[in-house]
Formats: sequence, structure tokens, C-alpha cells
Amino acid sequence: MFVDSKIGDLAELASGRNWTGAELSARLIARHSAYRDQGMERGDRVFVLYGNKLEFFVDLLALWYVGASVVPVDGRLTLFEIENLARAVTPRFALIDVTVPANIVTGLSAQGVTMLDTSSLDFIAPPRIETVAPQCAARLDDQALILFTSGTTGVPKGVVHTHRSLRARWLSLRQCLGVKSYERTLCLLPTHFGHGLICNSLFPWLCGQQLFIAPAFSTEMLLQLGRIVDQHRITFLSSVPSMWGLTLKGSKPPQGKSLRRIHCGSAPLSAHLWRQIRAWSGTREVFNAYGITETGSWVAGTTIGEFEPEDGLVGAPWGSAIKILKSAERNAPFESDCECKVDETGNVWLNTAALMQGYYGQAELTEQVISGGWFVTGDMGLIDRRGWFYLKGRERDEINKGGTKIYPADIDAVVERFEYTQAVCTFATADSLYGQNVAMAVVLPNQDAATIRQLHAWMKAHLADFKMPQRWYVVEALPQNSRGKISRSSVQELCARLKPIDLAGLLKRDSR
Amino acid sequence: MDAEQKKQHLLDFLQTIQRPDYPHEGIDEGSSLVESGLIDSLALLEIVMYLEQTHRIDFAERGIDPGDLRSVRSILDLIARESQT
Repeated sequence: MFVDSKIGDLAELASGRNWTGAELSARLIARHSAYRDQGMERGDRVFVLYGNKLEFFVDLLALWYVGASVVPVDGRLTLFEIENLARAVTPRFALIDVTVPANIVTGLSAQGVTMLDTSSLDFIAPPRIETVAPQCAARLDDQALILFTSGTTGVPKGVVHTHRSLRARWLSLRQCLGVKSYERTLCLLPTHFGHGLICNSLFPWLCGQQLFIAPAFSTEMLLQLGRIVDQHRITFLSSVPSMWGLTLKGSKPPQGKSLRRIHCGSAPLSAHLWRQIRAWSGTREVFNAYGITETGSWVAGTTIGEFEPEDGLVGAPWGSAIKILKSAERNAPFESDCECKVDETGNVWLNTAALMQGYYGQAELTEQVISGGWFVTGDMGLIDRRGWFYLKGRERDEINKGGTKIYPADIDAVVERFEYTQAVCTFATADSLYGQNVAMAVVLPNQDAATIRQLHAWMKAHLADFKMPQRWYVVEALPQNSRGKISRSSVQELCARLKPIDLAGLLKRDSR
Repeated sequence: MDAEQKKQHLLDFLQTIQRPDYPHEGIDEGSSLVESGLIDSLALLEIVMYLEQTHRIDFAERGIDPGDLRSVRSILDLIARESQT
């Protein structure tokens, strides 16, 4: 099961709790037993509705020992979105705790999902150091993780990783990066997505290194990051670019020289910010890490010896092969004349043993992106004469809000269902803090305040807060291409010339 | 600026960075700006920049205490303390 003969210790910064490897094993045994007593079996899919805490990690292992497939769910999603995910993957169980809202519990129960409140299950306390570890029921090719990317409001895209693909990712990272730098790893990223879970947390922890867990994107932690690094002698942390704004501004740099390595990923890292992180951290080992959920996250990075930061520089593959092809079509033949030349920008394809099994329940969609073992990423890039990989842009239809991916189609799907919507188009807008943020152009027959307030209420009921558009444009019509399809880029250009509505003013409760 | 002017200036600034769907109803001075949903947590950075530019507070030297930025009241207290040093 594990990458090494033992797992690392766990520490939770918010509460100060620590669990040693021996305590973790005892709790694992207790939880495994409790879940089996509840009727859980190999092959069951289990939602986990909390994260970034000690219990999440021991529950993950316990579920794997049962042979279940773990589905971490973003706690910020609305009931509408979570119910939609549940209809797609039909979990048999959901692990909840006191933080999960009652309406989510009621809604999932109504769908026939068995709720297991792990704060009240009969776990041993304090834990005895138990005797015999359970036999692990999971097999290498069993589904281990299902991570949702897009489609929370429509057709969910659940990336399925098996134990085999996860282990391939961890083993290749261990081979490429070693484990010494990850001896005391800090995770500030959410545990419901690939970067934070598979690579920042599970890779070092399952390789026997100590993991320090913090609440995801905690402002308090970011503003005191230097002190936290010194206090816990942190050797490694991973990050997204938007985190560094607050840290560089408000946190004194660490003084203890414990940091050996930092990764930054999930969003473009500018050369300027890169140098700032190096200066703040006191280490030159700041790697731009490129990864995608479908490939088990980190798949390439700047382990290329001495280099100067450059915009778009990623560097060397980690347990993967990278090809730049002229086409993004899956039937593009892999012959030499289909490959881009050195320094020529094209479509990025990856080949890795850590490739997902597929999208849950979507064989056709899976076939569209995998061809002969090669995965088309939706990114644009090039390889230079030194063999270094550069990322040049994204063709994927997504908004990258500070490392969190938001899919315009998810928002469009909700707005289209509003009774008065005639047309809608969500698109990316530039944002000084997040890099990108969400904007929306909508066509309504009545552009009065009452209709807009109704639409706003509709969206709030169906969409997580972080997906709500920052700018709203109410327009007469949306530009279409020659095939009659709304063109997102044309809508973006149109709205660049317009002023967004004063939504806050329209939402005044005491309207006059 | 006197204390009342500083307060109004801060409130006017917060309205430029608050979430676009947070109604203009007046901001409770004691409520957490982030927990109340008025601003995203990363928008605290914009408050830091406002305090640096408008009130010449040097965070590079003193660092940032998250409690100082928690609410309108705590920010005004910070401004008052810094103006006395």
C-alpha cells in the first residue's frame, strides 16, 4: 500500500494536535473496524466532506484498507452541487463531522447515502497501541480516489486514480526529487484537489516524512508564514502564486534557514514573483511545478540545475514524457512531422504511468483525451534547444482564480436554468490579486433591479461563493460565431468596452 | 484627517474592494470583514496597501498582525496607534 515501510507523523497547526506514526496506526485500526462494522465493503465509494485535519488523513487510509474509493468533496459547494456529484458517482457512504451543514446531511441522506458522523463513531480514546494491522483489501487496480474538476452543476468530471497510478506518481517523485527536502512538509493547500492532496500531502507523508497540516489558504497562517516555518522547522511547502501576495507583504521572512525547497504551481508563476519567493525563503530551490489532476498532479518542474527564473519556464519531466504536437486531436498520428520543432509552440501531450484510469462514468470523454497512452492536456507549450519545457498558455475553458480552477460552463449551466435568462456567457477577467476572476454577461428580457436580484438569489442557491461572478454585464445580445455558437472570447472583447453593473447597489435591501 | 474623516475614508475604500454582491447597507464596525463575507481573505492585501499609502504604516518593519485587520474597528484602532508613534 504505502511507498515506504512506515507513514510519517502528522501535526495539525490550527489545534496543536500531533499524532505519531504509532498513534496513527492505532486509529487506523479502530476506524477500519468501525467502517467494516457499518457495512462498508471493498468497491464502495465514500464521500469525505471535510479536509485539512488529522482525521481526514487517517480516514483516507482506513477507507483504503477497507478497499473503498475515496471522494474528497469541497466543503464550500452548495447542496445543489453536492447532490449533483452524488447522483453522478452514487456514493454508498459519506463521512461527516460537526462542520458539515445540516442541509447537506439531509440532502445526501435523501439520496440514500449513509451518513457516518466520524465525530461520534466509537473510536478508542485515548488510543491503545493496538496489535494487529488489518489486512488491506484494496488491490492495485482498484479505484482509490475520485477528484472532481469541472461539472459540479452539470455533468461532473470525476478524475479516477487507482492505487497503481497514485503509487506511480509517488515513486517517480521519490526517484526524481528524493525525500530529504520533504522531511518536514507543510500543507496550506486544500485536500480536496490533486495538488494539495496527492503531491503536497500524501507524497511526503506516505514516504515516511512528517506532515504539518494547516487550514486551506488560511490568511492568518499566510501572514505568519515565516514564524510558522521557524517554529516547526519546515523544510518544504507547496503553494500557488496568489498565496504569496499576503505572505510577502505581511510575513517576516523565516530566520532559521530550515526551508530546503518550495514548489509553486496550479497557476502561472511570473519570473518576478519567483525571485521574490527565493529572496524571502532563503533558498534557491523554488520550483515551478507543473501538474494536472489527470496525471496525479506534479508531472514536471524546474529540477534543471542552476537557472534564472523566466516566465513560463517549467523545465524537466518528473516521471513522464512530454511531447509538443501541432494538433490536440486524439487521432493525430504520433509521427515526427506531427511534432513541433524546437522552440515552436504547440499542444502539450503527456505520457506517464500516473495517468488517471479515466473520468468516472464517462468513457467517451475519456477517449477524447487519451490516445495510445498519451494524454492531451489542453495546454500550449514548447521545448527549447536545451530540452526545457515552457508553458505558454491554456486552451482549456477554465478560469484560474488564484490556483482554483472555475469552469465557465458550470456557471452558465446554472444561469441558463433561471426562468428569465435568454443567453449567458461566463468568462475570465483579469484580477490583480488572483490573476483571473469570474465575469458574466447575461441577456435578460427585463433588466430591472428585481429581476437581477432574483437571478442573484438563484445563483447563490446553486453555486459555491467562490464561483459567483465578480463582474456582471447585462447586455442586449451576445456575439456568436458563424455556427451560431456564443464565442467566449468575443464576449470578453465586448465587455471590455462596457461598464459592469453596480450589483451591490442593486442589492440594497431598503430599495428606494 | 480627524478620526471621523479617517473612518469615512476607510469605509469608502472598503466599498471599492468589497464583494460585488454584498449590499451597501453599512458595514458593522465590529464584525469580521472576511467572516461576514464582505471581502475575500486575499483582499486583505488591498487593505494593507491602502494603509501603507494613505496612513504611511510601514508593515515591512512591523509585520502584520491578522487581528489588526479583522474589522473596521480594529483597523481604525491600528491607524490611531500608528498615528501616535
